[in-house]
Amino acid sequence: MNSVTPFIGTPDATASAKPATARVPTDWTTKAMQSRIRRRYAAERRFRLAGLAAVWLSAGFLAFLLSSMLWQGASGFVETRVALPIDFAAAALPIEPARLTSRGADLALASAGLEGAVDSAATRAFGKDGEGLLSDGAWVTVRDALKADPGLLSRKTVIAVPVASPVDMAAKGDGPPEAEAVVARLKARGVLTRGLSMTFLTTADSTDATRVGIWGAFKGSLLTMIVTLLLAFPIGVLSALYLEEYAPKNRWTDLIEVSINNLAAVPSIIFGLLGLAVFLGTFGMPRSAPLVGGLTLALMTMPVIVIAGRNAIKAVPPSIRDAALGIGASPVQVVFHHVLPLALPGILTGTIIGMARALGETAPLLMIGMRAFIAAPPSGLRDPATVLPVQIFLWSDQVSRGFIEKTSAAIIVLLVFLLAMNGVAIYLRNKFETRW
Amino acid sequence: MSALALFFLVLGLGLIAWLSARMRAARFRVGNTARFSSLPAHHGWYVALWTAIPPLLFLVGWSMVAPALVTDTVLASPAAVQLPPPGFDRASILSEARSLAEGRSFGAFHELARVLSPVYAAAQSRYDWIATALALLLTFAGGAFAFLRVRPGFGARTRVERIVMILLLGASLIAILTTVGIVASLLYESARFFSIVPITDFLFGTHWSPQVVDARDPGASLGAVPLFWGTFFIGAVIAMIVAIPFGLMSAIYLTQYAAPTTRKWMKPILEVLAGVPTVVYGYFAALTVAPAVRDFAVWIGISWASSESALAAGLVMGIMIIPFVSSMADDSIAAVPSSMRDGSLAMGATSSETIRRVLLPAALPGVVGGVLLAVSRAIGETMIVVMAASGVATLTLNPFASTTTVTKQIVDLLTGEAEFDSAKTLAAFALGLTLFVVTLLLNIVALTVVKRYREAYE
Repeated sequence: MNSVTPFIGTPDATASAKPATARVPTDWTTKAMQSRIRRRYAAERRFRLAGLAAVWLSAGFLAFLLSSMLWQGASGFVETRVALPIDFAAAALPIEPARLTSRGADLALASAGLEGAVDSAATRAFGKDGEGLLSDGAWVTVRDALKADPGLLSRKTVIAVPVASPVDMAAKGDGPPEAEAVVARLKARGVLTRGLSMTFLTTADSTDATRVGIWGAFKGSLLTMIVTLLLAFPIGVLSALYLEEYAPKNRWTDLIEVSINNLAAVPSIIFGLLGLAVFLGTFGMPRSAPLVGGLTLALMTMPVIVIAGRNAIKAVPPSIRDAALGIGASPVQVVFHHVLPLALPGILTGTIIGMARALGETAPLLMIGMRAFIAAPPSGLRDPATVLPVQIFLWSDQVSRGFIEKTSAAIIVLLVFLLAMNGVAIYLRNKFETRW
Repeated sequence: MSALALFFLVLGLGLIAWLSARMRAARFRVGNTARFSSLPAHHGWYVALWTAIPPLLFLVGWSMVAPALVTDTVLASPAAVQLPPPGFDRASILSEARSLAEGRSFGAFHELARVLSPVYAAAQSRYDWIATALALLLTFAGGAFAFLRVRPGFGARTRVERIVMILLLGASLIAILTTVGIVASLLYESARFFSIVPITDFLFGTHWSPQVVDARDPGASLGAVPLFWGTFFIGAVIAMIVAIPFGLMSAIYLTQYAAPTTRKWMKPILEVLAGVPTVVYGYFAALTVAPAVRDFAVWIGISWASSESALAAGLVMGIMIIPFVSSMADDSIAAVPSSMRDGSLAMGATSSETIRRVLLPAALPGVVGGVLLAVSRAIGETMIVVMAASGVATLTLNPFASTTTVTKQIVDLLTGEAEFDSAKTLAAFALGLTLFVVTLLLNIVALTVVKRYREAYE
């Protein structure tokens, strides 16, 4: 082979000085070349494996995070109960059975010394430390049983009541040694049972781990989200429509666009500072109220909805607008009768994703004082309230061991709602997404 | 009548106005073949808006001046002569009287409040009746005015559409208002802070211990350099050491190697990482990662390792940022023209060589922009550091030592019991302003880089 293309080969000085004949094509079968190819292929495999490992490790982090929450939190929904024999006839509570069905029954029972009667029944049944065995909320269970069946008041009966936090932890296999001994003793007597904790699902915060509940925080979250949705959705959609359909190209429009894009990237805690300085400081709104929380989160969610809305509106083909204009619709009619309905699924998807983010947000709400201890569910927008993520934060600060499983259980509740919202968003996108 | 009831009453009247105007306009069309400029519904909207908007605006304005009017009436009453001079006592008696009058509380601390509460209730109800009467007058006047203008040739549509446009413009101005609100409130409170503490002490001081602020020289213990360093160390160094390799490699694998079905499933799964609330990450970091990091440090011989180390917070923050880096890298790699990739492959380069020598260098500006955005997210992240990082500000390079961040300090300073205008609470706003400016700059730089890069290939 005499002719050689000057493009292939080593560009060293001796080669270029010699005649072209000196250049031979690469012999790929030589040992050096073979090992070079092997090296390159090995590098290729290593690179590919590194990529695979990155994907799997990231997914593994997620799996580990979720499973550790599930593992710790599942027992938070369960409470341990002990069968407490209680003789109401002997306790002789100073209360008429008729009052048990009236509205003041809770108060009447409390003042009739029900709590003391339950404690003495525990002492009689389980020895002198029997009183410490029961949860502080045990008498509430007894109270509800009495209200359900006033006839009990003249009888002897056995009621399963929740146990105290250390005993509960021991029964779940993670308690202090002395409580383990108590549990072993009770198990031998066969009085321990387990069941779904209605307390956890129906009450609010408490200082005792066996009496805490998620309902107060859940209701706070719900009220806050309603305010957020009512403000952020209309404002977000209207801004998106204006910017995408009507806004003239001028400096003001640019300013609006720049501020929306910036607001979407501002750290959430800054919105908390805004809420603290403006809503609480200047306007004097009440602290830790769902109203203020909702306002603050609405300002944070609005840019997300605007950006999602603009993308959805942009995706509606111009032919639809032209057709509507062509048969005599006014610009407002074009948008509200044709563009908006077609873009709505996309806007809703963006809204749900923005609301899911707002639901999981904690930092701005801490700033406006939603970190107080609140033992009753809020009944209005101006009542002090807390929300699910803040409740998780508050419980995570507690030293008592019983709170660990309650915190994880609250996290499970929050994650279930977030996953459900995201699921709905994905479903909406798949069902209504139109490829033009 | 309460404001809420009045509000719904006005809305109800608006609905009636809408229906009646629409019926009236529809009647023009019966047996008439002329062309109309407006639909019956336009007439309906025109009248309804005239019915509802003036009283609602009036009510908003009224709710701002009414409390002052009521208080003035109470002060003019004979019983008010005994009130102490303006000051804290007077305000507390008045607010007690108000809550008694509104039925929100039942016992009074001051005797005078009990005397004043009937006066308060009377004044309140009198002004409520005035408000109701004025609002209804406006409703009927506006409604009648608009209703009489409903005629076949009347251009209700243009007028209604003008109002709709004003509404749209108003909605989009809220974004500007929010931005202005943020900047103004941060600047105002920071200015108050810098009038107490010199700005140079705050920006360049290396000692941060807000627990003990010396009133004579508050700047000495409010130097924010350790916070800036901690924020940078956790958010921009440790978190990025985790997030960049993982995010970049997953993006490369999912776009270049993975089968379409793998990609379809793995991409949303990774995005769930970004959807997990930060308080959950914080709990995970504090409960699981931080003890593990500490045990590891003790195992390798650092016996004094903190259980609230920078490493634990940074690691978890990095995991949270992975999907963010990944999706930015995904976008920038996808934006590289396929001719470059095809050319490289045709020359005999393997896929990995193509990616490393051709795709990544070409996509680098986009990737760098994405990383800058990720850094801005990481340094603004609050809950992970609040729960997992320590409150002790130290200037250290050791990842096992305790470090604190700007966001953690903002939360600590503002959730204490200090009064609102002490140097301590105002310092939180100065920190917030710094955070706002830095994230804003990072975002602007990042978006400019990404935009330039996109334009280069278009």
